Amino acid sequence: MPEELGTLDPYLVQVTDYDVERRRTSVGLRDDDVKRILAIKELVVQHIDAHADAFFNFLAKLPEAAGLFSRPDLLAEAKRLKHEHVVAMAGGRYEKSYVEQRVNLGLLYSKAQLDPRSFLGAFHTLMRSIGLKIAERFAHDPQAGFEHFMSIERIAFFDIGIIIDVMIADRERVILLQQEAIRELSTPALQIRDRLLILPIIGVLDSHRAKQLTEGLLRAVRTNRAKVVVMDITGVGTVDSKVANHLIQTIAASRLMGATVIITGLSAEVAQSLVTLGVDLAKLNAVGDLQGGLEEAERMLGYEVVRTGQAPSPRL
Amino acid sequence: MPVPILKQGNVLIASIQAALTDRDLLQFRDELAERVGRFRSRGVVIDVTALDVMDSFATRTLRGIAETTKLRGARTVVVGIQPEVAMAMVQLGLALGGVDTALDLEEGLELLEVQMRESGNRGG
Amino acid sequence: MADETRVSVDRDADIVTARHKGRELAVEVGFSGSDLTLIATAISEIARNIIIYAERGEIVLSIAQRGGKRGIVVVAHDDGPGIADIEQAMRDGYSTGKSLGLGLPGARRLMDEFETVSELGKGTTVTMKKWYG
Repeated sequence: MPEELGTLDPYLVQVTDYDVERRRTSVGLRDDDVKRILAIKELVVQHIDAHADAFFNFLAKLPEAAGLFSRPDLLAEAKRLKHEHVVAMAGGRYEKSYVEQRVNLGLLYSKAQLDPRSFLGAFHTLMRSIGLKIAERFAHDPQAGFEHFMSIERIAFFDIGIIIDVMIADRERVILLQQEAIRELSTPALQIRDRLLILPIIGVLDSHRAKQLTEGLLRAVRTNRAKVVVMDITGVGTVDSKVANHLIQTIAASRLMGATVIITGLSAEVAQSLVTLGVDLAKLNAVGDLQGGLEEAERMLGYEVVRTGQAPSPRL
Repeated sequence: MPVPILKQGNVLIASIQAALTDRDLLQFRDELAERVGRFRSRGVVIDVTALDVMDSFATRTLRGIAETTKLRGARTVVVGIQPEVAMAMVQLGLALGGVDTALDLEEGLELLEVQMRESGNRGG
Repeated sequence: MADETRVSVDRDADIVTARHKGRELAVEVGFSGSDLTLIATAISEIARNIIIYAERGEIVLSIAQRGGKRGIVVVAHDDGPGIADIEQAMRDGYSTGKSLGLGLPGARRLMDEFETVSELGKGTTVTMKKWYG
């Protein structure tokens, strides 16, 4: 089950000095820009409410942004941060702490399930609000007005870069979790008889999947109190020595939990190639096909049922 | 931190708690050996359900316990190894050797019952 | 959340402390289930090595980041007698007589990265890492 989006995890996006420098370079931020931004700082801060309102009013109209507005706690926090943000944008200092603040903002948007498109639209509206004020102030010198606006626009793109990166990283995290969940579902253990589990395995058995499989199998042993597990590998693509070793480890781990694992579906050819690769086949406890494996399993369990006056045959 | 050891007929049941130090474990080993001798127990169930880690020391000690109790005429079963612990043990290359394992207390007692009956029959 | 956690190791009870702290930090990194047990077990092994061979030492636990991945870093250091032949010590089954010597090679199998720096008379530092994701 995927977690809620965007747990506040400060490690999602790199915030090293190198990374900050790289971001500044990629938007072409220069000292001239910083000077110009500081020159209009007062102007921006003076109308900060108008700018922040522009941002949120735009979002309020979008159904995609409903997530943010349905959470009053997140909305209040977002508004507070937005105010801080705009002040910082015109602040002239764009170092590590500035980037970290943007990252937190990005995580908040992610948590509120705000999508990048909506965010971009709202940000554009905010910049427009700032731009209009700059145009007013520089009505006598439109060229200068334009240059000042372009300087602070660089910061806008600086911010956008960070926030989009955070949103993407968070989305990837969720996708990863979803993939894990799907993989777990695709290897179900079936209980067909008391104390007996069948685990058919289909597909590629890489290290990662093998580990998941083993975990799932062992948990199923615990839940179902299984004594025997028949693991059918007919559907497994390639069975090389690595896969064989995973299986051997699974068998060993199961034994520690009191369960015997029988491997079925290992063809004679594959068995032979494993032998040449140095795999100890005895450790694989392989029994021909699924049918044969089930019979063997029942034979093993069958001894439990015998309760005559005689001692039962040796337990496995 | 002592390990509680219960007597149930001729079987001793010990439940190891988590966070047992090396010293505690060795102390447990000695106490168990003493009681097996005192009560002439025929079986021992060591429940490690609460153990979050089974490292080489714990494994060695359990093997040692099984050997000692065997010398005093008792069979040992280790029960309750959790999935994650079993996986770690196998990856670490730890083996419990000839020590029997079972899923839980119930299974462990059943296994001991079978074994004791066998050896009882063999004895005549 | 601290950047790093230090656990001084000089009694066997400290082995338990080291693994608990290690587990806590591993949870922060994002590890779950069997990985937590693997990490705790590896820490247990090298912590015990410190007690057995050096009597006292220190384990430093921290979180690392590399290329978008997070990981746990465990550095175990002691001022003990040192290991004469690291290669030999890293071989399964090697024994000095004090223990079965499964400590180092076993721990290495459980972690992604493993490095031992040691010199006779100059102590030992074992650095091991496991990456998440």
